[in-house]
Amino acid sequence: MHKLLLAGVSAIALSLGVAGSAHAVDLMFPKGQGDFNWDSLQKFADAHKDLSGQKLTIWDAWNEQGDKTQWEAVLAYFTDATGVEVQDGSSKNYEEQARIDIQAGSPANITILPQPGLLADFAKQGKLVDLGDATTKFVTDNFGAGKSWAELGQFVGPDGAKHQYAFPYKQEVKSLVWYSPDNFKEKGYEVPKTWEDLMALQDKIKADGGTPWCIGIESGGATGWPATDWVENLLLLTQPPEVYDDWVAGKIKFSDKRITDAIDLFGSIVKDDKNVAGGTKSVATTAFGDSPKGLFTVPPQCYLHKQASFITSFFPEGSKAGVDYDFFYFPPMKSHPELGNPVEGSGNLVTITKDSPAAQAFIQFLETPIAHEIWMAQPNGSFLTALKTVNPKVYSSDTLRKFGDILLNATTFRFDGSDLMPGPIGAGAFWTGMVDYVNGKSSADVAAAIDAAWAKL
Amino acid sequence: MTTIATTPDAVESKPMGVPRINLGRVAAHLALLFFVVLWTFPTVGLLISSVRDKDQLALTGWWTSLAHSTLMAAARPDTADKAVQEGDHWVIKGNLFGRAKGQQIETFGPTNADIGKNAAGATIPMQDGGKLTVEANGDYVWNFDQQPTYSGAPRIYYVTGSPPRFTLENYARVLGSTGVAESFVNSLTVAIPSTVIPILIAAFAAYALAWMQFPFRGLIVAVVVGLLVVPLQMSLIPLLRLYNIIAGGINDMAGHQVAESKSYLGVWLAHTAFGLPLAIYLLRNYMAGLPREIMESARMDGASHFKTFTTMVLPLSFPALASFAIFQFLWIWNDLLVALVFLGAQDDRMVLTARLVNLLGQYGNNWELLTAAAFISIIVPLIVFFSLQRYFVRGLLAGSVK
Amino acid sequence: MIEQIIGALIAVAVALAAAFAYFWGSNWLLDRFLATDNSMSVETVTRRDLRRSSIRPWLFVLPALLFLALYLVYPVIETLRLSLYDKYGLEFVGFANYAWAFSDGGFWQAAFNNLGWLIIVPFLSTAFGLVIATLADRLWWGGIAKSLVFMPMAISFVGASVIWKFVYAYKGPGQDQIGVLNALVTWLGFDPQPWITIPYLNSFLLMVILIWIQTGFAMVILSAALRGVPEETLEAARIDGANGIRIFFDIMIPQIWGTIVVVWTTITITVLKVFDIVYAMTNGEFQTQVLANYMYRWMFISGDYGRGSTLAVIIMLVVIPIMVWNIRRANAEQGTR
Repeated sequence: MHKLLLAGVSAIALSLGVAGSAHAVDLMFPKGQGDFNWDSLQKFADAHKDLSGQKLTIWDAWNEQGDKTQWEAVLAYFTDATGVEVQDGSSKNYEEQARIDIQAGSPANITILPQPGLLADFAKQGKLVDLGDATTKFVTDNFGAGKSWAELGQFVGPDGAKHQYAFPYKQEVKSLVWYSPDNFKEKGYEVPKTWEDLMALQDKIKADGGTPWCIGIESGGATGWPATDWVENLLLLTQPPEVYDDWVAGKIKFSDKRITDAIDLFGSIVKDDKNVAGGTKSVATTAFGDSPKGLFTVPPQCYLHKQASFITSFFPEGSKAGVDYDFFYFPPMKSHPELGNPVEGSGNLVTITKDSPAAQAFIQFLETPIAHEIWMAQPNGSFLTALKTVNPKVYSSDTLRKFGDILLNATTFRFDGSDLMPGPIGAGAFWTGMVDYVNGKSSADVAAAIDAAWAKL
Repeated sequence: MTTIATTPDAVESKPMGVPRINLGRVAAHLALLFFVVLWTFPTVGLLISSVRDKDQLALTGWWTSLAHSTLMAAARPDTADKAVQEGDHWVIKGNLFGRAKGQQIETFGPTNADIGKNAAGATIPMQDGGKLTVEANGDYVWNFDQQPTYSGAPRIYYVTGSPPRFTLENYARVLGSTGVAESFVNSLTVAIPSTVIPILIAAFAAYALAWMQFPFRGLIVAVVVGLLVVPLQMSLIPLLRLYNIIAGGINDMAGHQVAESKSYLGVWLAHTAFGLPLAIYLLRNYMAGLPREIMESARMDGASHFKTFTTMVLPLSFPALASFAIFQFLWIWNDLLVALVFLGAQDDRMVLTARLVNLLGQYGNNWELLTAAAFISIIVPLIVFFSLQRYFVRGLLAGSVK
Repeated sequence: MIEQIIGALIAVAVALAAAFAYFWGSNWLLDRFLATDNSMSVETVTRRDLRRSSIRPWLFVLPALLFLALYLVYPVIETLRLSLYDKYGLEFVGFANYAWAFSDGGFWQAAFNNLGWLIIVPFLSTAFGLVIATLADRLWWGGIAKSLVFMPMAISFVGASVIWKFVYAYKGPGQDQIGVLNALVTWLGFDPQPWITIPYLNSFLLMVILIWIQTGFAMVILSAALRGVPEETLEAARIDGANGIRIFFDIMIPQIWGTIVVVWTTITITVLKVFDIVYAMTNGEFQTQVLANYMYRWMFISGDYGRGSTLAVIIMLVVIPIMVWNIRRANAEQGTR
């Protein structure tokens, strides 16, 4: 009896599932027009003709509405080329959902996450599919700073050896400071070229009666991460990249003076009520996506905002790059000329979590320039790529093109450290520590707490 | 079991000392009013906020929503290439307000600092050349002696006063573009079967546990009561694994897997199971409280347990069944975790609570969308609750008042 | 979309039909195969009657037992097992996870906060519920008042979090406050505070949300119990000259003590399981962590099944005394009939 019930109802449930997912394919840019590498799409389509009617599920981090529609515009070309029906999903707590699904054995075909630390964990448990040496070679040869991008996607598998488990897609530059050119012009402020200039500007803004920074680190379950970016960036400005690497790997402790100095350098900015719009107290309760809005208010609540390239999707509707807002490098220190122009970045990694011919084809698709160009060309996007075969002309704005150049020409490029650390630290103790620090604890106390958590892993 | 059918005003007619009555009464009225205001205030705030204009909502408290508000903003006139030649000079015309009409410019200026310097209607010289006039309704005229060549358009800063504005626009936006409407249907799809399915299963079990003699009865009751307190979070992964094994085994003729481990069926069954301890507990208590004589007379007439149950106990237990149904419906409608795990967060499957959480994250503190979405999510439970309140209370009482 | 709802309704029909078919069918089969009639010997009849009545209860409870075993008992056992294994559930580690928990600062902080929740929420919810019930039963508009106080019960934790984030919202001094609490504080001439970042006070402010939700529950139950207090008892007290407050504390409360305890335990169980409020409001930052959320964090964010399961087991262990008490009560009732 029960079986009958099960069968009957599952038939209904299945038909429901199918009914909900049929989408018409709508292409955003007509094929064959503009500066796109259309032939790469054609070549890809010719090579994958036999996939029609298959299904592909994707789980990713792009739950913000702008990102989501832009990403789905890219997917439409994959569907157009192969006939594969794609189901894309994301949610605010995408990491948790990805973990639950993978652990329970019901992952999407493709899982795309910006946290290498999390993926390393999955790889160790044998939940990721090896993409093979050909992928390693492709990334090494075709990406700016290719070797480091390839290595970012290599993890230790269940057999104890390193494999290429992930393909990098959609990169972000984190070391950026945003400002309003109008407000700078009105006050006669200049874009600083060095850290020392930046500090001088900060003091000048205060002297003029303004507030220099907008800082918000609230982010729901991930509250604290924007502060970790500050610390990582300041560490790169003050210490050689090797120190950064050792710190990320756990060989240098948080309580090391080099690290606490970086934390306190951040503190010298954030712990002064006059430096931050709303005062230090508001930092931990202001949503990171809300904080840049102070740049755009009349009169401005602040003049500077440090955040990664994706923050543009949180700017007020209709804001134009280069007109309503602009950015400059988080500037290097005059006192450390030997460190050059260090750049901190982050990016998403594409993995196969449930193998199928369509999933394999999808990785191939991402190797085509067109898979990058479609997103690059969308207005109000924040898509950057280190892939060298794309045509930079299709970037929708000069601002994005400038970022793209940074990525292609970076000398010292380091990935977001908290994303590389083990989950309970990089997505736990470090966040909590920075929240506590901003709310008044000393760097020594905070560092000791993080070290203690790390020791217990 | 105590009877609960005493009339509500039984307490009302107590004689008390005359002078004390008035004082006590007034104090009682005030005290109760205080509690009621305290308890409804947050929800009222949500409701009012959800119909306010988004610019006002972000800047002033909802309790000031009836007051006249002023706002400082900036806008750009058209770029130089839009200039039109009129006689011997060049003109750029337009309106500074894009979308939001109905405001009145009070003062304006070319910089933040000069925002309060010029009253609406004034004409000021511009840094990019020419003279600019801005009217109260936002219309501007920018006159040049020669064709303007400035690059980019400068910002004009202005102060507007706006009367209190209430709008349903927030609701329209939330329902139109954010998938909330779709999620509403998904929530109903999840909630209806998950509410109905456990009722019969629980009712039979409850009857057996209340009125039939069999070994381990006490133990089973103990286990059911014990299961009431199991934290649900920990059961999710083992269950999802099990679902995968089962779904993986259902294949079509060609051997392809046809069932998905995440489906509405899975959620229905999971909610059914999670609701059972409470259902059995409530119903057993209620049924055990039914008069013994009814059971005995039925048995005397030779009715079997099955017949006694279906013809007498089930109809008599209607209030308890209804109250459990309400309890379960509210629980499922408000659930986030079970739906996320067993149904997933794919766009077309997301339930309302999950959508709300996403809105929380996506829009930061864009309160106008959040408040509207939140209100949409609580409207169904409120309707269910207010229309069926009587049963709800009786069901709770059956389980708790002994 | 409409198909989806129709599908759901069909599922309801199918499920009801199937359930009915099972119960009716199995009973029919039982009566059929163990039928008795006058031609049989007395022993056969008795034996068959007995066997029927020993099988029938199991037919009644079987579907429920299957569901409970699969969805609740099995996960409990699995959790117990996993709590003795490592992060990935592969290697047996004995009680290492428990040792970790008891030496972990985060655990103790969560446990300490939980203790606060366990004391404050049930107490205040029950107390407010009792006061409101007493007041409302005396006034003509008490029914409306009770409905309004009960309303938060119908609101999801997520919805409630949105509502209360709005109440506690903070903007820097000098700006217009959009949160009611800070507006009140600045109106009184003090500086606005970022409420949810102030340790210990913030835990209390999160508790307020649960109290707000649970008071209605306590009120409804207690209101009914209060009406059950015999009028003669109150009358007698009044004749003896007792005033309203004396009557309340000396007569009414002792009379409904049993109900108060029931309400108290029910809310206590809710408190232990609640993680949504903390999860949505602070996610345990600013020292507001509680056990249920801490467990969720270890299990789903850190992906450590050993430690996550261990925390789950500890929560269950904490609940056991309450559970045992509840079971005892259930069994005591059993004895009376």
